Amino acid sequence: MSKVNDRSRDIGEFIPQPDDDMIICRCEEITKGEIRRAVHDGMFTITEIRRYLRTGMGLCQGQTCGKLVKGIVARELKISPLELESAVSRAPMRPIEMEVFGNEQVGGK
Amino acid sequence: MKRYDCIVVGAGPAGLSAAIEAAKRGLKVVVFDENSKPGGQLFKQIHKFFGSKEHRAKIRGFKIGEELLKEANDAGVEVVLNAIVIGLYLDKEVTVKIDDEVIHYKADAVIIATGASENMVTFDGWTLPGVIGAGAAQTMMNLHGVQPGKKILMLGSGNVGVVVGYQLIQAGCEVVAIVDAAPRIGGYGVHAAKVARCGVPFYLSHTIIKAEGEECVTGVTIGEVDSKWQIIPGTEKHFEVDTICLAVGLSPMSQLTKMAGCIMEENPKKGGYVPVCDEYGETSIKGIFAAGDVSGIEEASSAMIEGRIAGVAASYRLGFIEKEELEEKAEELEKALSSLRQGMFGPENKGKDIEKTDEGFEVSKNLLKKGYLTDEEVTKYPGVKTMKGIHPVIECSQNIPCNPCQDACPKNCIKIGANITSLPVVDEESTCIGCGMCVASCSGQSIFLVNEDYEEGYTSVTLPYEFLPLPEKGAKGIGLDRSGKEACEVEVIDVKSVKAFDNTNLLTIKVPNEMGMKVRFFKQA
Repeated sequence: MSKVNDRSRDIGEFIPQPDDDMIICRCEEITKGEIRRAVHDGMFTITEIRRYLRTGMGLCQGQTCGKLVKGIVARELKISPLELESAVSRAPMRPIEMEVFGNEQVGGK
Repeated sequence: MKRYDCIVVGAGPAGLSAAIEAAKRGLKVVVFDENSKPGGQLFKQIHKFFGSKEHRAKIRGFKIGEELLKEANDAGVEVVLNAIVIGLYLDKEVTVKIDDEVIHYKADAVIIATGASENMVTFDGWTLPGVIGAGAAQTMMNLHGVQPGKKILMLGSGNVGVVVGYQLIQAGCEVVAIVDAAPRIGGYGVHAAKVARCGVPFYLSHTIIKAEGEECVTGVTIGEVDSKWQIIPGTEKHFEVDTICLAVGLSPMSQLTKMAGCIMEENPKKGGYVPVCDEYGETSIKGIFAAGDVSGIEEASSAMIEGRIAGVAASYRLGFIEKEELEEKAEELEKALSSLRQGMFGPENKGKDIEKTDEGFEVSKNLLKKGYLTDEEVTKYPGVKTMKGIHPVIECSQNIPCNPCQDACPKNCIKIGANITSLPVVDEESTCIGCGMCVASCSGQSIFLVNEDYEEGYTSVTLPYEFLPLPEKGAKGIGLDRSGKEACEVEVIDVKSVKAFDNTNLLTIKVPNEMGMKVRFFKQA
C-alpha cells in the first residue's frame, strides 16, 4: 500500500509553525496552516485537500499554488511530492461565465 | 460539428511549427490560442537566440515569431485567436470558448502545445503587489512598453532570470541584485556576464526572507542559506526596491493531456507533470501529440523542432505521408534537436556540477558565483589570444549550443567545428579586419575587438552595446570592468550600427593600455 493510501499511518501531532498564516492559495485565500491542519484531519490526497479547502479551485485553477500545496502536503506526510498525484483535470480548463458555458454549439460552426 | 484533420492547441513556437509541417503535407489544420496575439512567448523575446543557422541562431525571438506566422499563413494554417480550449474528450473532440459560445470541434489528430506556467515561491509578503513573475515583467516591458518598476530585485539566476534581468536594465530599470538559493548561477555564463558588467551583484546561496511594505512592495530582505536551505542568522541584507521579480522555473501546462486520458508521469528532469511521449511526441493515445514545454521544459528553439516533428508524425498517423518520409524528416529534425541538447546545459547535465569543458578547460568558479570571469581566468580560454593589431577576444568559457561567430567572420578567424557546443577558437594565423561581424553575431555578447596597437599608450576596445540613447563619437564616459566596477575614463572613438548588426551597436572606446583586457562596458558619464 502506498504511503498516501495508508490512513493508519501515524504522521504525528499538528505542530504550529510561525508562517502558518501565510496565504498559499491566493484565489481562495487558504493559508499554509489550514493546509497542514487538513492533512492532520485525514486529507492525504490533493483531491481530498481540494474538496476540503477549495485550494486550486479559484480563478487560476491551481496554476499558481498547485506545486506549493503539493509540497506542503508532502512535507506533512513525510513523503516526496512525486508520490502525490496531481489534481484531476476537468473541463472547463479555464474559468468561464455560466452564461457562456451554457451556450454550447454542439453542432459546431 | 466542425471537423479538421488536425487541431493544434497553442500558437507558440511549438504549436505554429507543428501546424506548418502538417499543413504543408496537405492536412487541414486549425490552431487555437487563448491570447489575442499569436506567437506565445516568442514576441516577448527581444534577445538574439542561440543555436546554429538551422535553429535560426542570432535572430531575435520576436523576428522568429514573425517568420513562423508568415510561414503558417503561407502553408494555409488557420489561426483562431481569443479561442480558449476548455476540454479535450474521447475521440478527439475539442470544446473551445470563442466569444460567448462554446463550440465543439473534432479532428483525427490533436497536437497539444500549451506551453508552461511560471512557478512561484512563498515568503513573508509574497502576495504583496509588486511581487511579479519574470514573464509578467517581460510582457510589460517588451509588449506594452511599460517599466515593471524602478528598482527591482530578481530571484532566480537561470536563463530566464539573467535574460529578463538584462532586459530590465535595457528598459531603464535598476536591478539591485540577482538572488538564487542554489550555490551556482543556473543560466549561461555569457548571460550572467552581461548583467554583471552593468554592475548587478549576484547573491548565490541566498533567498528572500521577507518582502516589506503595507500596500505594496517597498523593500526586501534576503539572507544566506546553509546546505539544508535554512537561513543563516546574521546574513540578512536589505534592499530598497519597488518590485520583486520571480524567475524560479516553469511547470508544464499539461492539464489537457491529463484530461484526455494520456498516460502521465512526474518527471523532475522535464520540469513536472508531463504526458509520456514516444520519439515523435505522440502520447499514449494514438493521434494525440504533445510538443514544446508542455512535454518537458526546454527553450523555444527546441520547442520549434519538437513541434515540427509532431506535425510530420501527425501527417503520417493520418496517412498523408509514407513511413519513409516520416523517418527521413524526423531523423533530420532529431539531429538538429540533439545538437541543441548537447553541452553542459543539456537536459542530461541538469543539476550536475561540471568542472571542466569538453576541451578540458576549467570552468570558472567566479563565473558561476559572481557572474564574470576574472582577469586571470579569461586568458585561459581558446577565444582569447594576444595578437598584433586588431583581433577578436571571445570570452566564451562554457559548452553551450551556439556557433554564429564561426560563420560571421569573413576571414575565417574563428573556428568552432562541427560540434556546435565547442568553445570558439581564435586562429592566430588569420587576419582580422576589424569588421565587427563576430561581435554583433554573438547572442551572448561575449565577443570584443581589441587593438593593443591603437595608438601610443592606448588600446581600442569594441564592444556590443544594446542601450539607448547611443553615445556619440567623441563622448567621454566611464569604462566598467567585467564585475561592473568603474575602471577608468574612456572616450568613444567610433559608433557603428549597420543593418547586418541587427540593432547590436558596436561601440569602440579608447582606454589606457593596461585597461585593454579589463574594460568591457561603457557607462555614459
